[in-house]
Formats: sequence, structure tokens, C-alpha cells
Amino acid sequence: MNGQKLKRLGVELPLLPTSTVGSFPKTPELAEARTKYARKQITRAQLEALEKKATEFWIHAQEEIGLDVLVDGEQYRGDMVAYFAELMGGFQTGGLVRSYGNRYYHKPVIVGEVKWPGPMTVEWWRWTQSLTRKPVKGMLTGPYTVMDWSFNDYYRDRKSACLALAREIRKEVEALIEAGAKIIQIDEPAISVRQEELPFAIEALHVTVDDLPAYFITHACYGAFETIYPDMLELPVDNLDLAISNSALDLLTIFEKDPFTKDLSLGVLDVHSHRIETPAEIKARVMRGVRVLPPERVWVDPDCGLKTRTVQESQSKLEAMLTAVRELRTELA
Amino acid sequence: MQLILSTAGSYPRIGDAPDLQRHRRAYAQRERGEISAGEFTKVEDEVVAGVIREQIEAGMEIVTDGLVRWYDPYSHFCRGLEGASINGLLRLFDTNLYFRQPVVKGPIRRKASVILPEYEFARSVSPRPVKPVLTGPYTLARGSILEGGYRSTHELALAYALVLAGEVRELSRAGAQLIQIDEPAIVRHPEDLNVLEAALAVVGRERGAARLLLHISFGDVAPLYRDLQALPVDALGLDFTYSPKLPALIADLGSVKPLALGLIDARNTKLETKESVFPVLDAVLPALKTGPTYLMPSCGLEFLPRARARLKLETLKRLRDDYLGGRS
Repeated sequence: MNGQKLKRLGVELPLLPTSTVGSFPKTPELAEARTKYARKQITRAQLEALEKKATEFWIHAQEEIGLDVLVDGEQYRGDMVAYFAELMGGFQTGGLVRSYGNRYYHKPVIVGEVKWPGPMTVEWWRWTQSLTRKPVKGMLTGPYTVMDWSFNDYYRDRKSACLALAREIRKEVEALIEAGAKIIQIDEPAISVRQEELPFAIEALHVTVDDLPAYFITHACYGAFETIYPDMLELPVDNLDLAISNSALDLLTIFEKDPFTKDLSLGVLDVHSHRIETPAEIKARVMRGVRVLPPERVWVDPDCGLKTRTVQESQSKLEAMLTAVRELRTELA
Repeated sequence: MQLILSTAGSYPRIGDAPDLQRHRRAYAQRERGEISAGEFTKVEDEVVAGVIREQIEAGMEIVTDGLVRWYDPYSHFCRGLEGASINGLLRLFDTNLYFRQPVVKGPIRRKASVILPEYEFARSVSPRPVKPVLTGPYTLARGSILEGGYRSTHELALAYALVLAGEVRELSRAGAQLIQIDEPAIVRHPEDLNVLEAALAVVGRERGAARLLLHISFGDVAPLYRDLQALPVDALGLDFTYSPKLPALIADLGSVKPLALGLIDARNTKLETKESVFPVLDAVLPALKTGPTYLMPSCGLEFLPRARARLKLETLKRLRDDYLGGRS
């Protein structure tokens, strides 16, 4: 139970705290500006002004919807790994590789010792937090995922690369805490892809967060959790955020067998679907969690970042989620 | 000692240079309706010819068409099947490539040849033997959503096997000498080896004079190695990159089947060296009771940027030549 930890950190949250996983869709104005910037038609300063405007839009939208723990919406980030790889020492932009269909991306390459370049997300966090009285999460990509989604030309093996990244990402965590962040999410969507590597993925996260005073959340997209559960409970974080909206919630059957020992963020909105879930559907999904965990340990959020949805879809989905949660708070109180 | 060089399947269809982006541009034009299906096929033909040329220039002795026409390893086979449709995206094993998941609702039946026309075109532009590649019946079944027509993954695998048997029969009759069947899914479900065996037996019955190479990647194959030797195929292709214990295991148990050694990591840009490859060859080759032995990348090369894929193949050629040269 980590509600006590949040209280010690000075964060008060209601029953079933609501949040989002990190990214929001770029506003149409910003999307257009990013294209223009890529074509060198506008300056970096012009782009950044629009990134800030879009971030303000999303902070106000989250407040209006009534979310409890906010995010900056990652309006200034593209890919969740490339953003850090482009800033950190030791990386080069790699050649194009295919993602699916006709989609390609530049996969980063580790070509030297990875190095923290100084704060990468802190100024955005500080500025965003200044816009709201609600807590804003620090948002980072974890060492295992950065390693797995990069080529490694430099380190002896995947474990060495992962641990080196963990040491450098820790410096960003320390800088966020120094700036005042109380809740920090470290995303590890790749963590379930190679079951045999889970031990060093866990070791790496220890290197990144041990003995640091914050409430840590790790988000993992839906994967082969049945193969890494219950071992994944060894991840040294307070809250595991799991995508379950699209998985018939079979994870919870697993939890009934091996008790879940952390707080759980239930990803109850399907971010890959245009359809807006009904509050009744969302309540049913949350209740599957509340049946196996005390409600004090359950958070509610979408099952991944919302960046692939439209602005309107994102807002409508979150509004439905908040309607469901408000009703549940009354019913469970 | 004969060590034959071959690719393992896919090859990057575009490169970073503008002249290597033709496929991507044409694909987008086709999606927007700006070019016809025939015009797009013509671009694909040119890209296939270029991919084959590049493999041969890099020293490959058996080539593939780079699977340039495949959307992914699943939907390419299932898109045209009666009884199946195509669903949303799912991650391909532990890669960053996504495939569209087939949905099976009723008995599946092949309406037309999938690989034969691709093989015939590739052969027409290649001065070296072309190896057609098929996704195996078990892997197709494991990656499909089963909504009707069959009671289990086991039954569906046998149904896919009948479909693929038709492909194998046509390829063999057209002159394919070596046909690769990819079955990566078995690594994660070793309990289904009997299902794989039954399905491969169905496919294998139609191989005629062609030899079937069963290729397994994306996981540690060592725990399965002994059982793989009993499967009804003619050769085994093994991904060594997940299996630190595999060389010693092969040295210990030997192999009654010819092996294709996936020693070159097709998932990472780092180039292999004598120090990393020769000790494996020293351990494995004396234990092989029959040949020929193939040297390959660990899996298809489309996980790498195009320039690096070529460099990997050139590295494979140089290491093979140095290895044999050092022993002549």
C-alpha cells in the first residue's frame, strides 16, 4: 500500500486516482508546425512557442475533465525513445527501418558511452507544474526499453547497455526530484518481450530509482505478462500501470492466483479504438480490478498514450472515464 | 567443407538515399490512388531485382526475393484465404515490427497461389538459386484469432498446413530446390511440438524433389534442439543469437540433418568478427554428420537499415572465406 508514501510526499489524492499514460495528440496547429519545421519553413523558437501553447491547452483540458494527476502531454516529443536518444551522448540517429506497412522510423544506435547531457525533461516539467495546482508526473522512458529499441554498436551485450543507461537515466530522475516532482513514471513497454532478460531489466530499474524520494509508476503495454508474472512484481516501483482494456482482463485472473503487491493503474480505455467507451463499460472494467485489490490501491487511466487519437476522441474518452470513476467513488465510499 | 551463404528471408525494401526510397514513394502513391496496381507491381518488381542484385553482390549463393511484397509474415498468406480476414496490429515477437493479425471464422481455403508468382519472378531476374520462404502452419495458427471453423490451434495449424502444402507443391513443381518454412512461434510453445510435427508432415508430403528447411528464430532454440532433429523436414535453420548454449549442445549431440547456422545477428547493427564467429564454427562443424551447411543471418534482415544489412552479408562472406582460407 503506497498511499502512505504519497501522503509523506505531500500528495493527497482521492479514491481511484485518475491519470493518463503520457502522450496526448498533437493539436492540429502543432502538427502542421512540426511538418513546417521539418521542412525548415519555421524556426525552432516558433515551433517551441506552439509546443508550449499546445501543452497549455492540454493542461487546461485535463483540469476541466477533472483528472487528478496530470501529464505535460509530450507535445515536444516525437518517439518515446528517439526523444532521449537525440539528447543523450553516445547515440547516433540510425537508418530507416520499417515499423509496419509503409511506416518507417530512424532507430537510434548506441555508438559510444551513453551520457546524461543535463536535464532533458525538467524545464518542461517545471513550467507545466507552474500552470496547475494538481500534481504533474515526471515522464521518462526506462533503461530496458531505450536499450531494446536502439541498436547497440558499443556495449558488450544488451545487459551492459541497459545498466549503463540506467545509471544515466537516474540522473534525470534526481533532477526531476530536485525540481520538485513527487510522482515519476518510468515507462517500460518493452519489458515483457524477452522473459529471460527480466532479471537485468529489474536490476536496471533498481539502479535508476533506489533510495530516491518519489512515488514511481511503471507503464507497460499489454504483452506476455503471463510469462513474467509474478516476477515482474520485483520491479522497484510503487505502481504498475498495465494495459488491460483490450485483453479480456485476464491479468486479473492471474492476480487472483498470485496476489498483486503494488498499486495498480488499470488501463481501461482502448487507445487504439476510435470508439468512445461508455461509463458503464469502464465501471465494469474498474470493478474487475476492485474485486481483487482494495480500491485504495487502484488507479484508473487509458491503456496507453493517447497520441494516436484525435483531440476530440481523447477528451471524450477521458470524460467517460471520469464519469465512471465519480460514480464508483460514490458507490464505493 | 562446403559452407553455402544465404539470406534468411526478408531484406530492407528501402534505404536512406533518395534513390532507394522508390518503394516507399510508390506505396504512398498507390494508397492515394495516384498509381495503378499494375504500376505499383512494376516498382515492386524493380525493387525485388535490386534486392536480389544486392545479395549477390554481397556474396550470397542462395538468395530470396527479400519478401518485398509481404505486408507482414501473417497477413500475406491469410489475406486471400476464404474463411479468414485481417485484424489490427500486433507486435511481431520481440521486434519493433507489427503485423496484422488474421481472424479465422470458418473453414479456410486457398483461392490463389501466393508465393508461386513471386518465386517465378525472382527466379527470372536471379542468376543464382532462389529460396522461397513460407510462414509455417503452426506459427500462422498461433498468430491468428480463432473465431470459428476449428476447435483449437491444433486443428487450425493442420488447416493452414493443407493450404501451405498447395504452395509447396507448386513451388517444387516450378523447380524450387530449397524451400524455407519459418516457425518462430514454437520457441515460446515447446509443448506444441507434436502439433508442429503433424502440420509439417502435411506440408512435407507435397515437397516432391524440393528440400524443406525449417527455420526457427526470435528465441532460444537450445531447449528444443534434440526434438527438432526428429521433425519431418530436410534441414534446420537456427538463430544462434538467443542461444549461448547452442554451440556446445550441437557439438555434444551432433546433427543428423544439415544445418543453416544463423550466426550473423540480423537484429543489431554491430558487425561480427572472427573472434565471435570462428569459435562457434570450430565447435559446431565437426559435429555435423551431413551437409551441406548453410551460413545465414539469424533471421530476415529488414530489422536493419539497408546499408547495414548489406554490410552484414559482406561480413558473412568475408568470415566464411577467411575461415575456409585458414583451413586450406
